Amino acid sequence: MAKSYIRFWGVRGSYTAPFKTHLEVGGNTPCVEINVDDHVLICDAGTGIIPLGNKLISDAKHKELLILLSHFHWDHISGLPFFAPAFNSQYNISFFGPGDSKEVIKKYIDGQMKAPYFPVGTEEWVAKISYLNPKQKKLNYGSMEISYYNAHHPGITYGYKIKAKNKTIIYIPDNECLFLDKAIKEKMTGFTEEETTLFTDMNREEYQAEVKAIANTDILIHDAQYTPQDYKKKKGWGHSCYIDVVNMAIDAKVKNLFLFSHDPNNDDEMVSTIHRECQKIIAEKKSSLKCHIAKEVLEISLD
Amino acid sequence: MDEYKLTVALVDDNATSRKFFLRSVGNLSIDLKTYKDTDSAMEYLGNNKPSLLFLNIIMPDKNGLMFLKELRKMPLHSDTKVIMITSKDYTQDRTIAFELGALDFIVKPMSMRSITSIMLSYIK
Repeated sequence: MAKSYIRFWGVRGSYTAPFKTHLEVGGNTPCVEINVDDHVLICDAGTGIIPLGNKLISDAKHKELLILLSHFHWDHISGLPFFAPAFNSQYNISFFGPGDSKEVIKKYIDGQMKAPYFPVGTEEWVAKISYLNPKQKKLNYGSMEISYYNAHHPGITYGYKIKAKNKTIIYIPDNECLFLDKAIKEKMTGFTEEETTLFTDMNREEYQAEVKAIANTDILIHDAQYTPQDYKKKKGWGHSCYIDVVNMAIDAKVKNLFLFSHDPNNDDEMVSTIHRECQKIIAEKKSSLKCHIAKEVLEISLD
Repeated sequence: MDEYKLTVALVDDNATSRKFFLRSVGNLSIDLKTYKDTDSAMEYLGNNKPSLLFLNIIMPDKNGLMFLKELRKMPLHSDTKVIMITSKDYTQDRTIAFELGALDFIVKPMSMRSITSIMLSYIK
């Protein structure tokens, strides 16, 4: 029986960070392989998909691939022009992502490889490429059950929930949690008592909805790009402060949190500091949450 | 006597937000129809054109911008007056909303007075 696992191939948010000081964590942009009973599911196609593609070709074992795209920002699709299986006629590759038709998904994927942006277009792909109906609310792939929900990020962005091997995995690489809470705190002047009460309820309800979406997740792979100092400058850019993420994961009784979409400005030492701060919060709250740094080539067993 | 009232629809998964709108409308001569998701809203919007439609952006079942895109493909709603309402103020979302013909963009938290003032300015 083949082993089932999750492997991180790209963990950086926004842009690549191929610097000597960053390589323990890794410099590639988002790509996570979820391999269950020999079915290869790929979450996002950032530059991390390039080494994954090369590995798939050298293994010559898996010829059917499903790629889930959280959205179409460059850091999530920029590995596709160099994804070797797409240029190999033995492969069947399916894409799923946010959009209102298959044609729209194709258009978004083709766009980055058109002249004058790239010398080779998707018409050079010889693999069998399919674009799955983006209106379906659930997908089944091998024994995996896949659903999705809307993340807080500019444009339309999905978080994916994958049920596999009696575990729940959530992949939500770009998500600005607690947005309303911070907006309310910033603007909370000049409102009536009734308005203030309703905002408090609205905020609580929104937070409960966010917590419910990730409740009891076994493996949560979540955006944790910003420090509190970063977030002050970049509120509204669509990424989370790690403190908010770890607190939300504790409230949601998540079992394992993987800090993801690391800021490319943060070197290995800084990512370790963020991780230690998260551990401190977990200890203070006496939570059983296990917090990990998502690092390139890190593999998590699903067996 | 609903036939004498103008109809305004709101699609927002946040129950308190729906309550906030209902309280904002108060005694105005407006029939406010509220929906918690796009599926239930579509049951009404499939055959009805409100004077004004408020659409939240981030909802669990469907993103409001995607829903607006679908509505615009329906002849009935090609010119329906739409205002986006959101807790996330992203410039790109504003751009997409305005490209889809949204008239305005309200960011939570907002006062009840601002809601009624926007309603009245767009449906008069």
